[in-house]
Amino acid sequence: MTNSRDHEAREVVVRLADVRKDFGDYSALDGVSLKVRAGESVAVMGPSGSGKSTLLNMVAGLDRATAGTVTVAGQDLGGLGEKGLALYRRRHVGMIFQFFNLLDDLPALDNITLAGQLVGLKARPARKRALELMDQLGIAGRADVYPASLSGGERQRVATARALMNRPALLLADEPTGALDSRSGDQVMGLLTDLNKLGQTLLIVTHDPRLAAKCADRVVEVADGLIAREWTVEREPAGITR
Amino acid sequence: MSAVWRASRAAVKRRRLQTFTLGVVVMVSSMMAVATLSLLAAISGPFDKAFNAAHGAHIVAEYDRAKVTETQLAQTAHASGVTEASGPYPLAVLNHPAMVGGRPIGLAGSFTAVGRDRPDSAVDKLQLSSGRWAAAPDEIVLNMPKDLGAQQIRYDSRVTLADGTSLKVVGYASSASNSADGWVTPAEAKALGATSEQMLYRFSDAGSDTALTKDMATATKDLPSGSLTGTSSYLGIKANLAKGPGTYLPFLTVFGILGLLVSVLIVGNVVSGAVVSGYRHIGVLKALGFTPDQVTGVYLTMVTFPAVLGCAVGTAVGSVVGEKLVHQAFWGIFNNDLVLADTSVPAWIYPAVLIGMPVLVAVSALIPALKARRLPAAVAISAGSVQQTGRGLAVQRRLGRSGLPRPVSLGLGWPFARPGRTALTLSTVVLGVTTVTMAIGLSASVVKYGDVQKQTDRIQVSVAVDNPKFGQTAPAHSDDQLFALLRSMPGAVHVSADTPLQTRMAGYPGVVRMAVETGDTDALHPDLVHGRWPSGPGEVVVDSEFWHAHGAALGQTITLDDSDGRPRSETIVGETAGGWDITSTDWDHFAKLGPSGRAATFSVGLSKGTNPQSFAAAVRKADPGIQASVNGGTDTMQKVMVSVISSLTVMLMIVAALGVFNTVVLNTRERRKDLGMLKAVGMTPRQVVTMVVISMAALGLVGGVVGVPLGMAVHRIVIPLTGHSTHLDLPSSLLHVWDWRMLALLGLSGAVIGALGAWLPSIRAAKAPVAEVLRTE
Repeated sequence: MTNSRDHEAREVVVRLADVRKDFGDYSALDGVSLKVRAGESVAVMGPSGSGKSTLLNMVAGLDRATAGTVTVAGQDLGGLGEKGLALYRRRHVGMIFQFFNLLDDLPALDNITLAGQLVGLKARPARKRALELMDQLGIAGRADVYPASLSGGERQRVATARALMNRPALLLADEPTGALDSRSGDQVMGLLTDLNKLGQTLLIVTHDPRLAAKCADRVVEVADGLIAREWTVEREPAGITR
Repeated sequence: MSAVWRASRAAVKRRRLQTFTLGVVVMVSSMMAVATLSLLAAISGPFDKAFNAAHGAHIVAEYDRAKVTETQLAQTAHASGVTEASGPYPLAVLNHPAMVGGRPIGLAGSFTAVGRDRPDSAVDKLQLSSGRWAAAPDEIVLNMPKDLGAQQIRYDSRVTLADGTSLKVVGYASSASNSADGWVTPAEAKALGATSEQMLYRFSDAGSDTALTKDMATATKDLPSGSLTGTSSYLGIKANLAKGPGTYLPFLTVFGILGLLVSVLIVGNVVSGAVVSGYRHIGVLKALGFTPDQVTGVYLTMVTFPAVLGCAVGTAVGSVVGEKLVHQAFWGIFNNDLVLADTSVPAWIYPAVLIGMPVLVAVSALIPALKARRLPAAVAISAGSVQQTGRGLAVQRRLGRSGLPRPVSLGLGWPFARPGRTALTLSTVVLGVTTVTMAIGLSASVVKYGDVQKQTDRIQVSVAVDNPKFGQTAPAHSDDQLFALLRSMPGAVHVSADTPLQTRMAGYPGVVRMAVETGDTDALHPDLVHGRWPSGPGEVVVDSEFWHAHGAALGQTITLDDSDGRPRSETIVGETAGGWDITSTDWDHFAKLGPSGRAATFSVGLSKGTNPQSFAAAVRKADPGIQASVNGGTDTMQKVMVSVISSLTVMLMIVAALGVFNTVVLNTRERRKDLGMLKAVGMTPRQVVTMVVISMAALGLVGGVVGVPLGMAVHRIVIPLTGHSTHLDLPSSLLHVWDWRMLALLGLSGAVIGALGAWLPSIRAAKAPVAEVLRTE
């Protein structure tokens, strides 16, 4: 739980300034400005097509803004090339997707270590770190299991472990409970809350008011490519359900 | 139906590269099919086809005009066993005709002019290749000279005889029966002093020399004794064609069959790959409410559309290429317009390919599509997901910990994740590399075959001895003097001499064609398939065709008439791949049977470093009656054969490479989502490309490593089979055509094609915006 004075004092991790994103004649984002501070958990909500996933893609460096600036962890993403964006993604952000986006060809452990090995971590320390994360996230016994044999909740935990592998400054989650049953959804919500409590900065895109209520300090509502309103949240108590 | 069409159109649009590749594969395959079918149709008995089309004469008979009347000869046409006859035609033998336009006509020294009023007689219909038929007394139509290519009528072309008679050349024609060197009007033939009459016969039983001899005896039984002065059988002409150059036909047959087979296999592989890769799409269509029949319809339409288009274009191009290829091959082999006249692409080939290829595509698509239509939608949708344990996992785990850069180890591990897809890709690469290896091996064997025939490895200079009987300059040296002269020249190591001849073999009614050799034959003899070279008189080697025709065996004794007409027992001690029926080294007893009674050719083996051109030039200067030439230059026929076989090899390579390329493109495309995800977690575009290229190059390398020995093994099987099919034992040296550098290149070719095939789509995948890929896949 944070008070507003503490909040203001923290370093800004994400800064969007007047960001616009056009797809042909259609503007998915139409001048959005947003700040996310270190340790903060922000939920972006809105109806389908409102621009919330586009906003997340801008922050993740998966897509480029048509206008405006996106700065994350002090880096202006507009100035980075394809390689620069790749290096930015591997070092500064972790991503969790609605449909997990795990590599079907690799077992759970290798999906997680992959992210570490991409930043140059040797196989042994990468494996050690991955096993620690699996243990922390309650999937220690599933190391050699392929994604197709994991439950939805387990897959999202593997995806979360992969996202956390390189200790990112920012964890991005795109509808992390959207493809899960309610029990698995609750588990993921608890996981995200706990991570935030440990100081992990979160930016979550969701339709789910329950997820926002449980995991976010602040909710930003996007409509027609603009931030319609934002408010702080009195969080419901939650914990990791195993 | 409209839903099927819409879905098919959308699928074609979405898979433009795949559709294009499929179309091109079918196009090249159709082209190859038309060309190879044309070749196969043309080479199935080219002489018989041409001979039958021209109603060739089974026997060309020559009668003494002084002993028999035209009426008596006309009666022979009605004899028992004669089915058709033409003649009698007056025949004049012209001696020492002058050269025409600087080029020799017919045989030097003698020229047979036959008086015929028209070319299209019942028997021996002549093929007029240029100009017109002789109508006036001073006009002549020449039998088209071999080796000179298509002739154009020139205003100044004339045949001038020794007595000053001049005949204007008004046309060129070919005779399947080789019935004359030229044709004039009947009156002109008589004016030129015809002493003979020619009759051309076809018989109901003409299968063997014995049957023909019997037929002629029946036909001429009522004629005055001694009126028949000579006969020539079509079997002799056929045998001459089949010998030497004709032995290239089996190689062309193999290429033709190979081309068809590979086209079918590659098309089948490409099409089934396209359908298998679309399983997920099939699942989605089912989920949307498409019936199984509609789903099958979508996939058949999707692959048939580019196939029909490719097939139509390929058939059109193939007809041009095929005709050119066949014409080129046959010109190289037969140098005969008559045979060539019947080598156009047969009409049945077009519908066969135009219908057959799309049907093949449809059937190839139908098999996996039928499997897919039975799958529940959910299973089809998840067809790409992997649930595996065991070897694949162990390999990936090991690669992950190998210390290799992760993109490299990931790329190397990919093939193990999807064994089914990997097997399909690998089979295409193996098929492609095997095909190309075998095709290149066959090409090399054909070249080597030409070299073996000419013994280029042992004989560097060939010296032909002119024969004064044919109006040529008599050599100044005797055989012994020529031996001494050639041996004394700097660089000469071995010298041998030979002459061709004809003789009789006891128990065989026809003539046998024989060569007798002398000198350093131990060093200069041709390659042997079995046995050894004769060690002296009383021993002979026989050629492969004779070996099989007479059921010969090593140690078997045959009896031949020598130059004095006395029977001599000869033991067969070896078998040669080609050449004359029988070869002996018993010069003293057989040489006099040759056309000049002396050596016709000398062969010289030179020391290493001796320039054969300079040696030949020095020989020519030494005696104007001998013609020295360098042995081993590629002759026209060999050049043509290599060019034809190279064209077929290139076509095979294109089809095989496209097959591999298509499979790799499909494979890479399937991984688009994975690639997007890897980029999302921080893989750079270059790493993505590296990973994909390494993955496919590794598969290609494995395919190459498997395909090369497989291709060599098939080559090792095909070469002897090629010989056996035509009763020829080919020398084992034809199998030894491999060079390690070439093999290494072939082994790498799979990797190169795999890498190239992966590179283009991986570049696209690496450049594609991640958000878009993850959203759309």
